[in-house]
Amino acid sequence: MSLEHKNHIDLSILIAVLSLMLLSLGVVYSASASYAQHRAGDSEHMLISHSVKVFLGIIALFIFMRVDYRRLQGLTKFAVVLAVVLLFGTLLLGGEAKGATRWLRFSSIGFQPSEFAKYALLFHLCTLFNKKGEDIKDFKKGFLPMMVWIGIITLLVMAQPNFSMGAMIFILSMIVLYIGNVRFKHLFLTFVSMLPLLTIYMLSAEYRLKRVMDFINGFGSDAKPDYQAWQSILGFGNGGIFGVGPGESKQRDFFLPESYGDFVFSIVGEEYGFIGTIFFLGLFFLIMYRGFKIAKHSTDPFGRNLAISITIAITMYALINASVTLGILPTTGLPMPFVSYGGSSMVFSAAAIGVLLNISAQTDLHPRVREIPLVGSIDADGLNIRKVY
Amino acid sequence: MNENIEHTTPIFDVAKLKSNQFRVRLLRIAVGIFFIVVGLRIIHIQIVESEKYRKIAQKQYQSKVVLPSPRGILYDRNGNILASNATYVSFAADPMLAAEDAQAIAKKFSQAFGKHKNHYLNELKSESRFVWLERFVDAKYLNEIDLKKLNGVVVRREPKRLYFNDQIAGQLIGSTNIDNAGLAGIEKQFDVEFKGTDGYVVFQRDGLGRARPSVDYPRVEPKKGNNIYLTIDLKLQVIAEKALKKGIEDNKAEGGIIIVLQPRTGEILAIAQHPNINPNHFGKYEPDHQRLRAVTDLFEPGSVFKIVTASAALEHRLVKPDKMFYAENGLYSVPVTSKKSRKIVDTHKAEWITFQEAVETSSNIVMAKVSDIIGCERFYKMARDYGFGIATNIDFPGELNGMLKKPIDWWSTSLNTLSYGYEVGATPLQIACAYAAVANNGILMRPYILKKETDASNQIVRESQKQQIRSVISSETAEVLTGLFEGAVERGTGTLAKIQGIRIAGKTGTSKKYVEGQYEKGNYVASFIGFFPAEDPKIVCLVMIDKPQAGAYYGGTVSAPIFKAIAEQIINTTDVLSRTKNVLAKKIDHVPSVKSKSDTFNSSAGIVPDVRGQSLRRAIEILKMGMFEPVVEGSGIVITQVPEAGTYATKGMKISLICQPKQSTVLSLNR
Repeated sequence: MSLEHKNHIDLSILIAVLSLMLLSLGVVYSASASYAQHRAGDSEHMLISHSVKVFLGIIALFIFMRVDYRRLQGLTKFAVVLAVVLLFGTLLLGGEAKGATRWLRFSSIGFQPSEFAKYALLFHLCTLFNKKGEDIKDFKKGFLPMMVWIGIITLLVMAQPNFSMGAMIFILSMIVLYIGNVRFKHLFLTFVSMLPLLTIYMLSAEYRLKRVMDFINGFGSDAKPDYQAWQSILGFGNGGIFGVGPGESKQRDFFLPESYGDFVFSIVGEEYGFIGTIFFLGLFFLIMYRGFKIAKHSTDPFGRNLAISITIAITMYALINASVTLGILPTTGLPMPFVSYGGSSMVFSAAAIGVLLNISAQTDLHPRVREIPLVGSIDADGLNIRKVY
Repeated sequence: MNENIEHTTPIFDVAKLKSNQFRVRLLRIAVGIFFIVVGLRIIHIQIVESEKYRKIAQKQYQSKVVLPSPRGILYDRNGNILASNATYVSFAADPMLAAEDAQAIAKKFSQAFGKHKNHYLNELKSESRFVWLERFVDAKYLNEIDLKKLNGVVVRREPKRLYFNDQIAGQLIGSTNIDNAGLAGIEKQFDVEFKGTDGYVVFQRDGLGRARPSVDYPRVEPKKGNNIYLTIDLKLQVIAEKALKKGIEDNKAEGGIIIVLQPRTGEILAIAQHPNINPNHFGKYEPDHQRLRAVTDLFEPGSVFKIVTASAALEHRLVKPDKMFYAENGLYSVPVTSKKSRKIVDTHKAEWITFQEAVETSSNIVMAKVSDIIGCERFYKMARDYGFGIATNIDFPGELNGMLKKPIDWWSTSLNTLSYGYEVGATPLQIACAYAAVANNGILMRPYILKKETDASNQIVRESQKQQIRSVISSETAEVLTGLFEGAVERGTGTLAKIQGIRIAGKTGTSKKYVEGQYEKGNYVASFIGFFPAEDPKIVCLVMIDKPQAGAYYGGTVSAPIFKAIAEQIINTTDVLSRTKNVLAKKIDHVPSVKSKSDTFNSSAGIVPDVRGQSLRRAIEILKMGMFEPVVEGSGIVITQVPEAGTYATKGMKISLICQPKQSTVLSLNR
């Protein structure tokens, strides 16, 4: 049979993601205008760059939407090996940003291999579940090989050093292992063995400890949390219920650092208020809700695991990013998918959504109607019933 | 379709599927909880606590800068400026913006102001976004400190009171405090009128501390305060002060007060006081010298109080000027009890004299005898009607009521004592007003000092009207009294006040000062009060000299000559007398010899030229040619001058020039 999608794709996810991407144009423009003006002398500098990334993201989304996800099974091993190579390459010859080498540059185009590595790893784990079958419960045959991949990728990302990204990859991998029916015992052992490592890592750099301590100290008391989170909270508060209006943000004018990037959600909150933040959050909730639904209806375990992995990866990123901007979690450098300024996250997340949509098309969630009912027909969009005479 | 599914889908292990569904459901719940937590936090920040955060955010990006309103200008009755505003500057800084240049700023300010560098560095370490570096300093520092090179330093122009005539009318004008609020004198009395309304501007700043250029800042311009025109005549004030100064030097006196007022209206034309003060440095002086003693201090009037005795006697037709009294040859023993008696002494010993002569020679003995005829009630009522014991209600702060006991509280001797001016406390203004009533056909007028109030565009807001208080004596009595007082100047104790060709009515007074329970020897107040021309009085002038120590201490010898000097000046150099009646000018013409020797000050006047738009150098040349003294502020082109061009000003008067460089580079918050 043709491996094109048989049924309709899940429109709600597509609309939610496209909405986020298009809205991000306005938000990032507003959030970056002052900074771009200051740095590049052109307030639209970053808007243009962001538009290109949104465009690339949409292309990636539609490409992967049309590729049968089952074909990916044969590619994930290659992808994860490529990811390791790229991460090594980044360490050796990557560009520095804020004290960490996270970027790999090919002439003028740079990207963060960690974003690619994240999906490559998660996808490969899903492939391994299928391959190993019942061996998955076995520590040596099933669990250990997967942990090797997870360990390599996580350590390489953390070595950049990009702790939050590494930790996120690790946590997401654990969630995927959990979904893949790995024994609880193994997961628990992994968690316990991580504790001393985590402690050593935390103590190895002063700024990490300080961030966490600042966060703990600032919590519950009136003492200001760290500057960036505090400014972010002020932005949300300043927005109130209805917001100060598009383009009227004050916090973006050098009060809130990274207002266009990891903290763009605060600008949403300031300009569009409670209404805006809840709308954005609602779109992510919709993605999660539909994502799980797709997983439930998927016709094979690989599709099911893949759908959950993608859904979790996107929503966890969104939730953790929102939590950081709202001061619930200590400041980390995680972008909000589809909204934050940044190409790698945009393109790879969009590609992942493309895969998810392809899975959705192969479920019976939105069946394509083949037979004409006796008294009428269902329209192509499956909504309107029209009488046939 | 079915075959496809079978082909591609491995068979689900039922047990595995179940456990898996459980795991997924758990994960969904966990993620759902995460959504709820984030949602609750959003509600907390954006709805519950929104207001709190909004205020903090606002504080970050907004700053309100007050634009001080300039006080209204104080003029004399002819529009001469007594007090105006000079622009001083204050330097402030935004420590955040200034951080990079902190060292340079501290060094520059340290050089300019002589304070230690660390003083400024400490200020610049402040957490706040606004610190004062220097407040109210001369505008010349703007030239020394190049703000273009110092990031984060801002300048605020501050209007501050400038008193143009230094010592002239210092206590009268009073002063303002550092916040430009009235502290004393006229400045305090009309503080509300002068004040105006401060404006403000709200600045929005970005996180780098830069003003946001594209935003329309809410800006409220300061509203200038109203102008006050006093009834004071600067020329007469100067005449009075010069004469007072000379009189005090001649008599080695401790102090003195002169009041000049217009009897027909009650307008105060001049109030001089010595020691005088300069309101520009008001705080430097002793509180005792800051008061305007003419309204805030009580004196025992002595013989000048005989106006009450004479008025009561004449008004009630108890005595006629030619009635004879025995003056006891200068020593009169009044029995108090059967054993004790009390002595009343006259300087001019006499036997039988008329009442007229008694007034002219200021006989205490005759006055005491007359008071017995008048009786307590009638005497008290007359004193009260003249306004003794009641504040005159002049528009000036801190006025005293005076002290006049009721007859029920009197001793048996009080009536006699009161008849020549003891056992009563009066402000110099009350005495002056009583004589003004005689000069005004017996009608007491309320004294006042505010002529008019105008708004910033010089439209009249209010104008004082003359105000009758009561008719104290009939105009016939007033005429007779004036005759008696004329006699005192013509032949009696006040002959040193006599000016040929002009009828002057006056009365001398010499009172011992009551210090710490007894009348101190050698501590006198010598006074003279008179008005002229007697046929149509235009001027009432009171001269009181405190503690003369050059030998002479009588009012007739100490104060009368000062009165004369003032009267001569007024007649010769002003148009006060001719302003309303040309007849008088003729009279003065008959007296060509009248020329004061004490005419040492130059009060001839000139018109202030217009130097606006001129270069500073040229402006100074022009002003010096006109015998004015330029006071320069800033450099470059003259943009404002005070007083304005065309104003009538005395020579040597200071003309304040406010200049600006051709291209202003200063961030001026006070447009």
